Amino acid sequence: MDSNNKTYWKGLEELNPTPEFEALQKREFAEDLPIEEILSGKANDSSVMPRRDFLKSLGFGVGAVALAACNKTPVNKAVPYLIKPEEITPGIPNYYTSISKDGYGILVKTREGRPIKIEGNTNCPIGQGGVDSAGHASVIDLYDSTKLKSPLLKGIESSWEDVDAFVKEQLAKTNAAGKKIVILTDSINSPSTNAAIADFVKAYPTAKQVTYDAVSYSGIINANKNSFDKAVIPSYKFDNASVIVSFGADFLGTWISPVEFTRQYVSQRNAKHLKETKSMSRHIQFETEMSLTGSNADVRIPVRPSQSGLALIGLYNGVAKLAGAQTFNVETPEFAGNIISKTAKELWENKGKSLVVAGSNDVSTQILVNAINALLGNYGSTIDLDNASQQYKGNDAEVVELVNEMNRGEVGALIVYGVNPVYSYPKAADFAAALKKVALKVSFAEREDETAKGFEVIAPDHHSLEAWTDAEPRKGVFLIGQPTINPIYDTRAAQKSLLVWANNPVEYLDYVKNVWNTTIFPQVGAGIFQDQWDNLLRTGFVKTAGAVAQPYTFAKDLSTVVSTITNSSKSVSGKVELTVFKHTNVGDGRGANNPLLQECPDPVSKVTWDNYVAISPKFGQDQGIAEFDVVKVEANGYSIELPVILQPGQAYGTASIALGYGRTAAGKAGNEVGKNAYPFVSIVNGSLQNFNGVSISKTGDSIELARTQTHHSFEGRDIIRETTISAYAKDPSSGSHGHHDLAEISEQDEKGGAKRDKYGNLKLLNLWEDKEKKGHHWGMAIDLNACTGCGSCIISCNIENNVAVVGRDEVRRRREMHWLRIDRYYSEVAEGTEGYMGKDSKEESFEVVHQPMLCQHCDHAPCETVCPVLATMHSSEGLNQMAYNRCFGTRYCANNCPYKVRRFNWFNYTDNDKFDYYMNNPMGKLVLNPDVVVRSRGVMEKCSMCVQRIQAGKLQAKMENRPLKDGDIKTACQQSCPSNAIVFGDINDPESEVSKLLHNERTYYVLESIGVQPGIGYMTQVRNKEKAAAEHGHGGHGHEAKEESHS
Amino acid sequence: MHESIIRKPLVTGTPDMHTVTEDVCRPVENAPSKAWWIGFTLAFAGFILWLVSFGYTAWVGLGAWGLNKTVGWAWDITNFVWWVGIGHAGTLISAVLLLFRQSWRNSINRSAEAMTIFAVICAATYILAHMGRPWLAYWAFPLPNQFGSLWVNFNSPLIWDVFAISTYFSVSCLFWFVGLLPDIATVRDRATGVRKQVYSALSLGWTSSARSWIRFESISLILSGISTPLVLSVHTIVSFDFATSVIPGWHTTIFPPYFVAGAIFSGFAMVQTLLLVARVVLKLENYITMYHIELMNIIILVTGSIVGVAYLTELFIAWYSGVEYEQYAFLNRVSGPYWWAYWIMMTCNVISPQLMWFKKLRTSLVFTFIISIVVNIGMWFERFVIIVTSLHRDYLPSSWAMFTPTVVDVGLYVGSIGLFFTLFLLFIRFLPSVAMAEVKLLLKHSSEEAKAKAKKHGHATHHPVEGNVVIATTATIKKGESNEE
Repeated sequence: MDSNNKTYWKGLEELNPTPEFEALQKREFAEDLPIEEILSGKANDSSVMPRRDFLKSLGFGVGAVALAACNKTPVNKAVPYLIKPEEITPGIPNYYTSISKDGYGILVKTREGRPIKIEGNTNCPIGQGGVDSAGHASVIDLYDSTKLKSPLLKGIESSWEDVDAFVKEQLAKTNAAGKKIVILTDSINSPSTNAAIADFVKAYPTAKQVTYDAVSYSGIINANKNSFDKAVIPSYKFDNASVIVSFGADFLGTWISPVEFTRQYVSQRNAKHLKETKSMSRHIQFETEMSLTGSNADVRIPVRPSQSGLALIGLYNGVAKLAGAQTFNVETPEFAGNIISKTAKELWENKGKSLVVAGSNDVSTQILVNAINALLGNYGSTIDLDNASQQYKGNDAEVVELVNEMNRGEVGALIVYGVNPVYSYPKAADFAAALKKVALKVSFAEREDETAKGFEVIAPDHHSLEAWTDAEPRKGVFLIGQPTINPIYDTRAAQKSLLVWANNPVEYLDYVKNVWNTTIFPQVGAGIFQDQWDNLLRTGFVKTAGAVAQPYTFAKDLSTVVSTITNSSKSVSGKVELTVFKHTNVGDGRGANNPLLQECPDPVSKVTWDNYVAISPKFGQDQGIAEFDVVKVEANGYSIELPVILQPGQAYGTASIALGYGRTAAGKAGNEVGKNAYPFVSIVNGSLQNFNGVSISKTGDSIELARTQTHHSFEGRDIIRETTISAYAKDPSSGSHGHHDLAEISEQDEKGGAKRDKYGNLKLLNLWEDKEKKGHHWGMAIDLNACTGCGSCIISCNIENNVAVVGRDEVRRRREMHWLRIDRYYSEVAEGTEGYMGKDSKEESFEVVHQPMLCQHCDHAPCETVCPVLATMHSSEGLNQMAYNRCFGTRYCANNCPYKVRRFNWFNYTDNDKFDYYMNNPMGKLVLNPDVVVRSRGVMEKCSMCVQRIQAGKLQAKMENRPLKDGDIKTACQQSCPSNAIVFGDINDPESEVSKLLHNERTYYVLESIGVQPGIGYMTQVRNKEKAAAEHGHGGHGHEAKEESHS
Repeated sequence: MHESIIRKPLVTGTPDMHTVTEDVCRPVENAPSKAWWIGFTLAFAGFILWLVSFGYTAWVGLGAWGLNKTVGWAWDITNFVWWVGIGHAGTLISAVLLLFRQSWRNSINRSAEAMTIFAVICAATYILAHMGRPWLAYWAFPLPNQFGSLWVNFNSPLIWDVFAISTYFSVSCLFWFVGLLPDIATVRDRATGVRKQVYSALSLGWTSSARSWIRFESISLILSGISTPLVLSVHTIVSFDFATSVIPGWHTTIFPPYFVAGAIFSGFAMVQTLLLVARVVLKLENYITMYHIELMNIIILVTGSIVGVAYLTELFIAWYSGVEYEQYAFLNRVSGPYWWAYWIMMTCNVISPQLMWFKKLRTSLVFTFIISIVVNIGMWFERFVIIVTSLHRDYLPSSWAMFTPTVVDVGLYVGSIGLFFTLFLLFIRFLPSVAMAEVKLLLKHSSEEAKAKAKKHGHATHHPVEGNVVIATTATIKKGESNEE
């Protein structure tokens, strides 16, 4: 083929080339490259970006951004232990036995070396697995970043060497001058601490220990010394008592050993006892303020403090008459229904199975109580003087004398250990003035508290979770506490400080071991020390066989006792009688700086973050005082201004204020919360008495208290179901009839009757298809008759689930975050029944019921259907779960929850200076449970039934290659409930405890008729009295407090 | 279309077609009046307040409001339902009355529809604002996502709400905009410069050809067909937010019709409020006549009575049901701590509209204006009563609580009114607030002049060729010209 000779031209220029074109043709680039310009740097000066540059930058930019965007989310790698500590496996908690501050055994849960939770030690003979609110909350004190970080010498942070040198020098001087060295402590029942103090006293012969309890029991100790020549507090056995009569002793809340007593008390009243015996103990309470114990009583009589002693004489006379013993001709009060003589009769009928206790710290009153108990033959059965309690040893007289000694300049050195007299001593100003005359003042306080301020030396003691501790709360019961973390700050065990100053600088652990080896183990039996010690650390306690409790008879003359009581009852006449009492949460003031305790509502008044003056509604009306009015309470030249709560059940003409508030140097959370009521404690005959005559006047101000519950009647709704023991004995389902008689809305059998399962329960008609309940189905049973309402579960839940503290203002706005709350309702006592105080005193005669309320994990949960984004849904195991990250916070679920248990994060509660509690600093956050998400603002949260514990339990069983056993998993609220009122478990397992309880005749479901199929069954409240207020579902229209919220 | 001469005229005075154009275009083409500036300044201040309140809430969290653990919704959802309700009159007027060939709607439908859109915008802001984490609001849409099968909950009335409101908003916008086309074209034709360009773009090239008009008519009909069920469905679905719950006072089957009636009731009241002012300020008395006002008053009377019957039915059913929680919920409404809210609601919504039975009152401008405000106050309280008094005392008395609004709550509410009026005032400034084309339809047979003429001639005016064709020539009208007749 011919080659193609055609000429193709690309343009006219090529066809008719011009010289310019030909010149151009020869060049590679059509235009000159700006090489010179680029090299000279001029190109950059040009304001117009060349297209190529633009494309280059664009290309690079887009490429770089795309690459950066393609990068994976940064992965935070957990750095493994280079050398793994023997005990620590990341993600797996360890538990160590320890001792709570109140002296009962606990288990401390640690994660990666951090203590994060306190649980009950089931085997401990004192606590038996129960933990109170203060015990739970104490774990966050460990991480308090405001504590002293090193010892202070004359107010300056110093080294321990300097402190030791200074103290030793001063002590030697004092000793040489022959002046006294006083170690002022609270009640110490720790064998090792006592040994250390003894060693110190040996080294400094002028030293002595003075024991001071802010809330003292010296009355009981002295009375027992007087009556039986035994200066001890006996062990009480409420579990042996069929009739319990208490004169103002709040034994379920604060009196001596509440956790222990709660276990004992409930064992006579819980589901098991009721089912087995068809009977329960009877509890009659005479008291002034509405205490936690009074709220649980079958019959409660409000009594003025001035009447209380006389009423006790009346009771004594009643019992003595029946016993044929000497009676006294004193005019004694009697209450509606002749309750005193009736009580005497009941006590007599239950001789040896009864118990009379009194909260008074007055020796005469306690002697009279001893006399009654002796007449009833209670010694040896319900009262044990031979295995005495060692929980309180305070000696009021010695403390009073100490102030005198200091004033006289006899005291050269004062070492304050565990007490805060400048805050808690009734005549604190006197104490502070006397302190000035002491040359060397040393404190073991964790911070510069009211007392330690201005002390020469503050040698901060470890937190109890950092230290070796031991205790002998009851004679023959020895507990050990191990440190669960290295000391966080530069603190030192107080015992070690004492030993160092006594020139015996041993390691405290060696010292403790020695004490156990030489004095304790020999008491409990021979063995190899190391084995005994290892075993001790595992169990947390050892105990001796214990002495046999002996019966005691009372042989003293009572006439002076009776006349003392009669006289003292006249001392406050004509004034408003004020009682002050230890608060259930903040205690004697030691818990004041704990935000969890401050936010945990008072079990009865439901007030948080404040104390207040409680007066009876009628008294308020007569005095023209309304709720939240600020009143001035004045006595002996001291006055405080506090808002008023109209408290049903408060005795007419009296007022009550909680102790433990109004601290000024407690720390961030506790300072200036409430007012200090200690100055109202009166010192009578050398002992501290918790009542006083005061005058009350209105100031015209009004302060709204932060309450978690503002409506106090259950309005006769069948959410609360009650019965009496006699009705229960006849028909165990007597109180829960509502549940068993929902026949109209239940499924029907072929004959048109209501369909029942084998337990007699009805199957309610259902709009929805039933969910399949395969595998586990978690549920809960709560025994209203066992629950005392103490609130320890609230704090247990808070800590387990990282529930935020929101502070007073937010509680006032009704925004507390508690996943679990205890609803407390009042109902009027029906006319003519026991405890009815007459028409004029209707507002004093009240019955109380406590109902723990938490997410019911409904099988047909109304919250689940309304969530637009499926952030809350049902698990295949019957749990109603929250996916926090999916929630965008419409709050529809909370609105549609009939139980109102859902809590919304209105703000960010972590890392927010407006909520400066433990979640706002890195140290405080160490207590957070790593298994539970900390919720951000804008999401809903609620009880998860401790799903993290469920998972952990299932994993444990899986690892051990065994099926899950009932009891393997315990929720936080259940684990340490002092009354075992909460039982969690698998409903699908017919043998589980919860299944059995849910089939108990007493069981009912709250708001069952809505058809939401709640997963938590409640067991009726049974009262041991003639007729319960709410027996027929018509509780009185209780006292309606102001609900007007913060504005 | 036959129009009886004894029917009241829908246009008073003697405006001819050109006068209509002039009258309606006046506010759009001239500098705004002092009254407009005063109104706009106030409204804009309100809008700023809204921005601040909204921003503060979004920044610190919902704790800025007065809500609590028991009352999880209060002013937020009250305002939401209130605004959605107000919107309903617009749709009713533009869609339902069009289907029923109620030609008196022609002069008011434009503003009413604008009101609908702005009210729905206000309502939508509360959907966003009431969320704990509003930045995640898009989760409410069933969008494909990277989380596997994560989907919305189609059981939740809030999801129905999302669909209802978004559908409602889009259809309303479409309907409004389509209706605006001929009028924008008129403005375009009279405008010059940049304004002309803008209006040209907005008019989508409206040519006023007969074909355009035919399509315009059919699309209007189709859209009104789509909108009509929305009038009923949107508020029905809003009422499901409450009706499907288990809370006494919410859990009731009467809610859908009761809410729809209430919505129309409040919507017409809002239309009255707006038009009574607009007709004076914009000098549109000839097009928005006393007859219109009276007719709307009658609707207010009817829907107000329906609402009243619903209130009484609720009370009766609460008693008749025998359910103690239900009974208490209503007892608490009537006599509980929020009794005042209930009685404000009763007075404003049930008693005050009954005065409309008197012709003298329902034809009084002042009285109408007062009642229109009173009705909207009443309807706000109706939602407040339903939401807050049901929630604050439900099943367990332990959780009973009170709700007290905070400054931010008030700011957000007042601010949303500011937002609404800002939008509305911008609307009457930039778009024809009366549907010129549709009013011109009325001139031939329903105006006072036409009727007078007809009376004089002893027979009704008869136009074999209908208004469509007559006004189809609007596109050629130049400012200052007239080609009518």
